[in-house]
Amino acid sequence: MVAITGTLVQSYNICKRQTWLMAHQIVPDQDHPYIEIGRLLDEETYSRDKKKISFENVVIDIIRSDEGDIVVGEVKKSSKAQESARLQLAFYLYKLKQNGIDAKGLLLFPEERRRMPVELDSDLEQELEHIFKGINLVVSMSVPPPPQKIGYCKNCGYREFCWA
Amino acid sequence: MKKAIYIFSSGELKRKDNTIYFENEEGQKFIPVENTSEIYIFGEVDVNKRFLEFLAQAEIIMHFFNHYGYYVGTFYPREHLNSGYMILKQVEHYLDFEKRFNIASEFVSGASKNMRQVLKYYINRGKDLGAVEENIKALEERVGNCKDIDELMAIEGNIREHYYKAFDLILGKADFAFEQRTKRPPKNYLNTLISFGNSLLYTIVLSEIYKTHLDPRIGFLHTTNFRRFTLNLDIAEIFKPIIVDRVIFTVVGKNMITKDDFEKGMEGLILKEKAQKVFVEEMENKLKTTFNHRHLGRNVSYRRLIRLELYKLEKHLIGEEEYKAFVMYW
Repeated sequence: MVAITGTLVQSYNICKRQTWLMAHQIVPDQDHPYIEIGRLLDEETYSRDKKKISFENVVIDIIRSDEGDIVVGEVKKSSKAQESARLQLAFYLYKLKQNGIDAKGLLLFPEERRRMPVELDSDLEQELEHIFKGINLVVSMSVPPPPQKIGYCKNCGYREFCWA
Repeated sequence: MKKAIYIFSSGELKRKDNTIYFENEEGQKFIPVENTSEIYIFGEVDVNKRFLEFLAQAEIIMHFFNHYGYYVGTFYPREHLNSGYMILKQVEHYLDFEKRFNIASEFVSGASKNMRQVLKYYINRGKDLGAVEENIKALEERVGNCKDIDELMAIEGNIREHYYKAFDLILGKADFAFEQRTKRPPKNYLNTLISFGNSLLYTIVLSEIYKTHLDPRIGFLHTTNFRRFTLNLDIAEIFKPIIVDRVIFTVVGKNMITKDDFEKGMEGLILKEKAQKVFVEEMENKLKTTFNHRHLGRNVSYRRLIRLELYKLEKHLIGEEEYKAFVMYW
């Protein structure tokens, strides 16, 4: 069993090879422009909020309270991989719920001035549990799944690692 | 794109606010930390702990050269990309003789193939180097039959001996006759340039290793003793003909560096500061040059090519794709 993290959940929906690499601490090229943008976006947006709350292997970007509700925010550069971001945020809500905290989720796309609420329901919980099993299967492989050219490769920090 | 910074003058390097600050009698200069990938120090530069802490935080590596242009050492900040998995794989491939030998011999034959490419280039331009190329090829074919790493190193040495002798014909300059390979100290002009260029390349490869999950202390061809970096020496073998030697052909061929650019020091010949600058600049130009990478299908710089080589090695170590050294095709 691997320790499931938000990035593993997020990558699982996009590229299983990325999931495998991340789980083996082989992180993407840190000089990659998109990764730098992500880092900057993280530092410079929502500076009034509480940031980077971590527990177990979860790191939450932003926590707010909204009329008694706890709202968990996840900041993304673009809504291109919205579905993966939604699952990542749902995973945080799932972990919070396991710890007895009911929270709501909010995906934040500051550059697009857009936000999207995410709520954890039983369908989503089932979907997550299915993903956890899938992640465990992928990560237990002795070598990573072979690279496959997909649209995501174009802007991926693993691109050169995969295709060198 | 982040840049390498080279400092030849003397002065003090400090952290000022959140950036790098260089100061001496001639003036002061801010160096944006966000745009700096590594720092090379040739001058007499003072640094303090606060500055080193700042570099570590910014993940910037710093290489020192002494007054004579010899490599002194590197400030290698704590590892920022940790993969226990990758290190175990690297060690596994070091400890298992067959695994280690496979990688080490690929470094030697890759280096040899690149040397032959250099020779072929000049053969096509009418230089009489066919016999040298044949000799090297014959040695290269013996690489797979070596019993141990020492024998492999010996073959590598023989190959280089043949190859460097060809420099006399390539350069056609009596001042830069090769004679024989001498190091520490190099005894003639050409050897001084080779040593200077190779040391530079070692640090450049080390800088690239810092940006991967590999441990620079575990080499495969060069024996690990955990007191010094060796993986960079291994990888550099492949790139010496591609990068260093071609820079030498340029600076000597175009008289950018002549015998007047050397002086006799206590420890043999020294490249004067002006010539060091010329060499470093030409090397930087080479590293920045891009070409179409066949496999990747787009343009990459020579510096990037080194990183790609490290990625290939990582993929070999995790068992997904057999490592084949880069061989230039032009």
